[in-house]
Amino acid sequence: MATTPRSGGAGSGTAQRPNGTSQNKSCQFKLVLLGESAVGKSSLVLRFVKGQFHEYQESTIGAAFLTQTICIEDTVVKFEIWDTAGQERYHSLAPMYYRGAQAAIVVYDIQNQDSFQRAKTWVKELHKQASPNIVIALAGNKADLSNIRVVEFDEAKQYAEENGLLFMETSAKTGMNVNDIFLAIAKKLPKNDGANNQGGSIRPNGNETNRPTNNCCK
Amino acid sequence: MDATTSSKFSDVDEYGFKRGQNFDYNNYSKFMDGYLKTLTRRRMKWEAILQQNPDLSQVDAKLKRYIRKGIPGPYRPDVWMKISGAAAEQKRAPNLYRSLLNTETFDKEISDSISIDLPRTFPDNIHFDTKKQRLYNILIAYAHHNRDVGYCQGLNYIAGLLLIVTEDEEKSFWLLKHIVENIVPQYHSHNMANLLRDLAVFRELVIRRFPAVNRHVDNLGLPYPVIASKWFICIFAEVLPVETVLRIWDCVFAEGYKIVFRAALAMFVTHKTSILACDDIAALATHFRDIMIQDSIVTDCHGFIESMFALRLKRSELESLRKVAVLNPA
Repeated sequence: MATTPRSGGAGSGTAQRPNGTSQNKSCQFKLVLLGESAVGKSSLVLRFVKGQFHEYQESTIGAAFLTQTICIEDTVVKFEIWDTAGQERYHSLAPMYYRGAQAAIVVYDIQNQDSFQRAKTWVKELHKQASPNIVIALAGNKADLSNIRVVEFDEAKQYAEENGLLFMETSAKTGMNVNDIFLAIAKKLPKNDGANNQGGSIRPNGNETNRPTNNCCK
Repeated sequence: MDATTSSKFSDVDEYGFKRGQNFDYNNYSKFMDGYLKTLTRRRMKWEAILQQNPDLSQVDAKLKRYIRKGIPGPYRPDVWMKISGAAAEQKRAPNLYRSLLNTETFDKEISDSISIDLPRTFPDNIHFDTKKQRLYNILIAYAHHNRDVGYCQGLNYIAGLLLIVTEDEEKSFWLLKHIVENIVPQYHSHNMANLLRDLAVFRELVIRRFPAVNRHVDNLGLPYPVIASKWFICIFAEVLPVETVLRIWDCVFAEGYKIVFRAALAMFVTHKTSILACDDIAALATHFRDIMIQDSIVTDCHGFIESMFALRLKRSELESLRKVAVLNPA
């Protein structure tokens, strides 16, 4: 059985394949989704974790926690995903979720200029308050509605480049770029040296336990 | 075979909510066999109570006992209005609701955020499509009445359920106002100060009552705000099965905020074993989010309410914990 050190940061371990012929590294990363209300944060997570889409996804009250495991090359990457509420007043809860996160997806709606401005505010806050090495991806969601867009692709791309962010336009509805953005994040995260333990843990007591993880590479 | 075909129960409940795919019809059938008889008996008793004491302005020990056993559905709207004091408030300002709706222009930002949430409020309820405009009215009126709160996500579920039960916009408005201002003040306001305080109080209660469970939750690393924010913000609306929520609300309107803590603690006490059996954070999160909010324990609304009142909980303990938690929120 494979084990993954849980130190609030990624660690490397070994994971036996089901046929027992070769070994994989496995890592675990904490990822937080931020962005204005109704831009599609929960829908992106639902698409990534369950492959589903609900036209009328209920609004997230407080926050939700989900996990998903992906493979890149010989590494099993498990994302611990913290999906937050978008409404401004829930902001006071947000630091609890991005503190100690190794990755963030800041989401806006390409039909909504305000949500893009809000995304920029989130990026600034993360640069100021989150772990210094946090990998941030900017997601312009609802790309299936690009014929009624108000936020231009090039504008967002330029902003992302200037601020060192990964950038993709995504559609939780069609699935476009959803797995890709998580994959791009996983590729950018350090996986070997366990050096990304900075930022601490949001676990109240920060203790370490080993536990089994699923092996997705077959 | 599809579970519903062998059941005498529809896949839609009496309030128009579709029952989940995993709904346990057999267990529910067993529970309802007994519960329907209880409901009939209770309705006869309530008829007598309402004849003797039509204004219900005093919640005495006997009335409290009856309320804890559940207010019969048809009496709920009026009984809620009276025992909460909302009816008396309405009498003092009979034109308030209409005058709020007659405002020339609504704040666009508030109106937009309410409109975004309308289609995603109870999309699985088969009757709710026809209620969306009325839900908008209640929420926009309240947002303009109480600018400190405005519109807070979660109020759509409370107001929506009030509307389903009362079938009356104005009553729903007054009951919503009562909940937001008197039962859980400053949960829904812009800084949500009391929500954070009460989540910290709740954690402290779990530490005191079920230290092993708290240790387990802490060790796995699931923060209490993830577990319980929605419980407190929505007073369990859109969390627990509808009948259970309404039974909780019966007591909330009669007895106040302490009931919210009782219900939250009962979630832990009734699921202690299964919480301890979760061996990683993902399993624990799924348990809280999907499994224990629709299992046979919470569907048996009667048993769940009994477990709420089997707990030892004094107002003085809550108040002293609140004083400490203000300094050190969740």
